[in-house]
Amino acid sequence: MRRTVRLLTGTALAAAVAGRIAAPAYGAETGGLELRPAVAVPGVEVAVDTAACGEGGSAAGDAAAVGAGRFTLAPGGHHGDATGRFRVPPSAQPGTYEIVARCADGGREVRGDLVVALGTVGRGQVQPHGSVKTGVGGALGPDPVQTAAGVAALAVAAAGGTWLLHRRARGDRI
Amino acid sequence: MRRVGNTALAAVSVTALCTGAWLLHGGAGSHAPPQPSAAERRTDGTHGTHGTDGTQDTNGARRRAAPALPHSPPDRIRIPSIRVDAPLTGLGLTAAGSLDAPPAQKKNLAGWYAAGTAPGERGTAIVAGHVDNTDGPAVFYDLGALRKGAAIEVDRRDGSTAVFTVDAVEAYPASDFPDEKVYGAADRPELRVITCGGGYARSTGYQGNVVVFAHLTGSVR
Repeated sequence: MRRTVRLLTGTALAAAVAGRIAAPAYGAETGGLELRPAVAVPGVEVAVDTAACGEGGSAAGDAAAVGAGRFTLAPGGHHGDATGRFRVPPSAQPGTYEIVARCADGGREVRGDLVVALGTVGRGQVQPHGSVKTGVGGALGPDPVQTAAGVAALAVAAAGGTWLLHRRARGDRI
Repeated sequence: MRRVGNTALAAVSVTALCTGAWLLHGGAGSHAPPQPSAAERRTDGTHGTHGTDGTQDTNGARRRAAPALPHSPPDRIRIPSIRVDAPLTGLGLTAAGSLDAPPAQKKNLAGWYAAGTAPGERGTAIVAGHVDNTDGPAVFYDLGALRKGAAIEVDRRDGSTAVFTVDAVEAYPASDFPDEKVYGAADRPELRVITCGGGYARSTGYQGNVVVFAHLTGSVR
């Protein structure tokens, strides 16, 4: 009996594991031109930071896309990052704008996206509003992998049962 | 010998029958996610930042607000009481101005509003994650089961860990979402953890959000 229980637990566990495939690995984001805030309202000052120009490097920034013109990134951030700032013009329209910086040394270009939004501002930040779409109901419906595993397990049970009945009909002792 | 073989065959058949029935019936977790109970609601009735300066935890000890930490982006969130341990990715806003959600196919990934307050900093930091995806339960499936006084830990890039204590767990309908309560600026370091909830309809999906309110009560270096 104890053996049967252990077997049952083991099989159930194996089936449960088969039904739940491991989570995929998570890749970290790569460096570029960092903007703070990355989502800004018109009139707000945006801080720009990049490590791409090396320690102590400086860069020429271009925020003309959003109508803010050129700005300079000078060394002075964490680990000698180049940092600078520009102001989003009060007349800027909502949308996504590409901000570019070119390193003074070597001419490497880095880019970052600035989103201009019209919204509530709390301490210079744009606050989100409304609910967040963080579910699709997938926990509620049947899991296809699990369903397949269930059908397979029932097939095994049916085959085993049939075989036992077959033996019994032949007069074998069970 | 044959008898042993028959017993084993019978055991395997019974096991397969039970497992099959269990899997087809829904198995583990193919049910609606837990929703917060009335006991976990906000009790102050006002903006959470001003009404209370501490939270009664399960041991009856009051948790004082801790001083704010400097800005540093978060890397990971842990909620030991509901077995959450997930990396954090940066989130922006949708064109409609609502908070974007992390990619749904990564079920153990949460996100933080990267243009806003970093967890531990003074103000309201926002973390969101999926309750489920098309494959089944996701990172914040059990968020609605969180209790007042529970701990939430956020690992930050500067090497520190911000420790928050849960003040309340609420469910809000999408049709009447209290923006100011959830996203509004705070005078002390606060955290909101958001996922989907509040009932599910096949046509319109989840009806709202489960929102966890917490404030900073400590930090570890």
